[in-house]
Amino acid sequence: MNVNTVGNQFCRRLKPTLSARIRTLSTIAELNKLRNTHQADANDVLKECWGNIKDRGKAINAYISVEDKDYLQQQASEAQTRWFKGMFRPWCLFMQSILKNSVDVSTEHPITLGQAKSVVDGVPIAIKDNICTERMTTTCGSKMLEDFESPYDATVVKLLRDAGALIVAKCNLDQFGMGSHNVHSHFGHVNNPKNTDGHFHFSLESLPSHQRSAGGSSGGSAAAVAADLCFAALGSDTGGSVRLPASYCGIVGFKPSYGRISRRGLIAYANSLDTVGILAKDTHDAELIYDLLSKYDKQDPTSMLPSMRERIQQEYADCYDTMDPDSLKGVRIGVPQEYRVKELDESIMEIWRMGIQKLQKLGATIVPISLPNTQYALPAYYILALAEASSNMARYDGMRYGHTAETTTSDLLYADARTEGLGAEVKRRIMMGTFALSAGHYEDHFLPAQKIRRLVQTDFNNVFCMPNPLLDDAVADLSNTSKVHAIITPGAISTAPLISKCIPEVDDPTQHTSVKSVDGFIDDVMTVPASLAGIPAITVPAGKSTVDGWPVGLQLLAQYGDEKTLLHVAKLFQS
Amino acid sequence: MFRYTFQYATKTRIVRGLCFRRGLHNPASGWNAVIGLEIHAQIDSQTKLFSDSLTSFNAPVNSNISVVDAAFPGVQPTLNEKCVELAVRTAIALGSTINKRSTFDRKHYFYPDLPQGYQITQHHKPVSQGGELVLATHDGVPEPMQVRIEQIQLEQDTGKSIHDMRPDMTLLDLNRAGSGLMEIVTKPDMRSALQAGQFVKKLQALLRCVGSSNANMEEGSLRCDVNVSVHKEGDSWGTRCELKNLNSVRFLSAAIEAEVQRQIKVLENGGIIEQETRGYDVEQGKTFRLRGKETARDYRYMPETDLPSLILTQEYIDALRNSMPELPDAKRERLMQQYNLSDHDAAVLLSESNAAEYFETVCQGRPPKLVVNWTTHELFGQLASKNIPFTVNPVSTDQLGSVLDLIQSGSITGMTAKNVLKIMIDEAGSRLASDIVEERGWKKVGDELTLREMCQHLMDKNPDKVASIRSGNTKLATWLIGQIMRDTRGLADPVTLNKVLEEALGVKLDDLNNVSHSKGKKSKKKGQ
Repeated sequence: MNVNTVGNQFCRRLKPTLSARIRTLSTIAELNKLRNTHQADANDVLKECWGNIKDRGKAINAYISVEDKDYLQQQASEAQTRWFKGMFRPWCLFMQSILKNSVDVSTEHPITLGQAKSVVDGVPIAIKDNICTERMTTTCGSKMLEDFESPYDATVVKLLRDAGALIVAKCNLDQFGMGSHNVHSHFGHVNNPKNTDGHFHFSLESLPSHQRSAGGSSGGSAAAVAADLCFAALGSDTGGSVRLPASYCGIVGFKPSYGRISRRGLIAYANSLDTVGILAKDTHDAELIYDLLSKYDKQDPTSMLPSMRERIQQEYADCYDTMDPDSLKGVRIGVPQEYRVKELDESIMEIWRMGIQKLQKLGATIVPISLPNTQYALPAYYILALAEASSNMARYDGMRYGHTAETTTSDLLYADARTEGLGAEVKRRIMMGTFALSAGHYEDHFLPAQKIRRLVQTDFNNVFCMPNPLLDDAVADLSNTSKVHAIITPGAISTAPLISKCIPEVDDPTQHTSVKSVDGFIDDVMTVPASLAGIPAITVPAGKSTVDGWPVGLQLLAQYGDEKTLLHVAKLFQS
Repeated sequence: MFRYTFQYATKTRIVRGLCFRRGLHNPASGWNAVIGLEIHAQIDSQTKLFSDSLTSFNAPVNSNISVVDAAFPGVQPTLNEKCVELAVRTAIALGSTINKRSTFDRKHYFYPDLPQGYQITQHHKPVSQGGELVLATHDGVPEPMQVRIEQIQLEQDTGKSIHDMRPDMTLLDLNRAGSGLMEIVTKPDMRSALQAGQFVKKLQALLRCVGSSNANMEEGSLRCDVNVSVHKEGDSWGTRCELKNLNSVRFLSAAIEAEVQRQIKVLENGGIIEQETRGYDVEQGKTFRLRGKETARDYRYMPETDLPSLILTQEYIDALRNSMPELPDAKRERLMQQYNLSDHDAAVLLSESNAAEYFETVCQGRPPKLVVNWTTHELFGQLASKNIPFTVNPVSTDQLGSVLDLIQSGSITGMTAKNVLKIMIDEAGSRLASDIVEERGWKKVGDELTLREMCQHLMDKNPDKVASIRSGNTKLATWLIGQIMRDTRGLADPVTLNKVLEEALGVKLDDLNNVSHSKGKKSKKKGQ
């Protein structure tokens, strides 16, 4: 839709026409432009969002709990008041628009916030249900925490609330983030809202055999953004849990460097890998949210220190200064040959090739690179992540909070609470992780996996021209033409698979799916290396599969701490 | 003369004697014992190791808990710098090598008083390694020896499970959960219960001096696990058993002794020692099996990835090293030299925390001998008789000083001084001695003229007694002194009185001290 028409329509009749626009103009950036010209209203935005939740929320099953409507309305109206208060300049624009009968919002007017708290003041945002919120339950998609109400807000939630965002709902997920297709939830699986023609299924429930995975574990967050149930959502990414669903749902999934965003309040799956991730309609929105959340937090001991943030800013300054805002001239993009795994769909290969061509057209130099330890990344990841998971799950014993067994079969209170409260996939992972840590196996499994992790990190350090700021002796190698600024890979090995192909047979023997419980692990193969290395990664929609017409995302990677280059490339790639 | 002091000294002697006998027991039979200790000392910091909850142990149950201590979902530990500082200070005091990079690990086991399901500890790379504590003869061991330190690690304490308050129920108090502990592991360098006991005592004094722990076994701020094995002289070391839940140095020594005897008995009867964990039954004086090796836990140690490595710079370590308090051994040495104190006096002063500082403050401008006597004998004695620990001693250094000043100037007698001190303790105020003496009219009657008049008056009234004394029955003079003491309410200066009386009678009398001594004892008894 042409934004000019919006302006025209707006001048004719303000209210009734607005809500219809929001659905299609639904990036935060565009919404802000409209608000700047006084053409959008936080109350209407909420109304539209609420309508969408009512319309298709149930079918998609993206939300586990939704915030109280009255509370949201009050928040929205307060946000609107704030916007309105500082609206002197926009008001002039508005008068101009009456005089000229049109406002060209497509040209760059710097967004003025008035007295609004931030760019997301009054904007509906959803939160993955493994991130603690004082309001609503924080279930982790489990029976164990079905009724758990956190006594505190996660730091990211607090930052969003302080910025005026409307926390509308808590998103469905694989229990405790363990899964790749959001089928391991106590609250049912999430349906991918994207149909082949790019429109929405309104009768998803009637077509169970056609239901596709929204990806996992942040499936609810991705589906909610894709189905306009919110403007953006927070997810968590341990091995690809934000990027995989983004690829399947045709939206942007951004996992910043480990430590950039506070994990305080993100319920741990694997501490050394967990990252709060952002799901958004486009790269620009992802950046807006990232800028709000990328703050040092002393309550998270793994939070990147302010000194490190400054150091990165300084060390990369030379490179940033020469960055061309409109092209990728001088930017070298690596294509790692090891990502051509045999499981990779031919249709995805095609999209990858097209993506590389697009980057070339934007002026980037394409450099073939090698990340030789990539093949070991997946097994190493599943040892480390599950070992940490088995440890992190130990606190769910039903003693202080969470599910308690009503009838105890024995003296083993814990066993009953955990048997009932934790899902099958979680239990499998606890068992595997416990095995990896047991006496004798620690040396055979855990320690080698840690070594592989180092090797994977070294692989990345060897190909990036930016130095890794975590290494004291690293130096920039900007002029070396064999080294790259960013890397492009597929975001997933396939388009969204059918849900029925994602449920392990052991969990539902009636379906005779012959799916093994570890089959889903391979879907993380594209995303896991960046998690092990802690580097920033973003999945950007890159087209549709020529085979089934479903969306495909490509993943961009950059050096640790180098979100700026990453987002720069991603924004141009997406345009 | 110093009844309480006497009792005090006797008590010590009895305890030492017992330990000594125990200690001698082993070598006699040709058996050797090998003993190593794992000590958990609660770090005396205001807040917990990984959260900002207070560590006040007497608070109402479950009142000092944060979401971190109760292991709520989504929380992370943040390291308390004060705990690190105190652990490093302890390491310095023990001559332990500080690791500039140490790491934290998780030790897993399920127990309701362990909310996380794991304890954060330092398994792979502790804060310091090595070090030693030297025991000298004045520390109560027959031969000087050294106990080497394996390592010192930081770790979390658990909550408390209370099993005996309600039937069929275990109650939980999480106040302690997450408090900082130092685990101090020794090498198996001790050979007797005596050595182990004296080591713990010396370590307690050291930790208190450094300020890193209250190190009180009875209150649980210092807990000891003991590894004990025995072997025949010349054989390789035997299988060890671990003793747990010992809550005083006395029981620790007794338990080790009992365990050594048990192991010897088993081996002498042809049995074998199984590796197991044992408790100590105080009533029966025997150790008993808690659990065997087969049920030993696999703790599944894993790096704590929420906590980055603990990096200590050389500057930091140096700064702490340069601001260490004077350690007990050095202080002992200095006190003995500077104030010419006896071994015993120095030991007594160092046995109570801050007593040496107290002594030194009072000592300023006063003779050390007088001060040490009045501190260790009179003050300690009176406090002990009232069960007041020295840590809450109500007599300020100024107050004790004022008492001693009056003694020195000859204004009051020793007897009076004791009473003044007693009042100071009872009042727990800040009145100086002069004030109390003034109020009570206790100023010494040291005026020769007055005393001479009194003597004359008395002699005039009792000519028969005077005659008897003059004929050689000098013991009767005691009676005269007693009369005058009574008339002056004990305020007559004994030395002057003696002199005056001798002159008046024209007879050389016995040592006056004996007289006043017996008199002093008598009056005390009456007082009780």
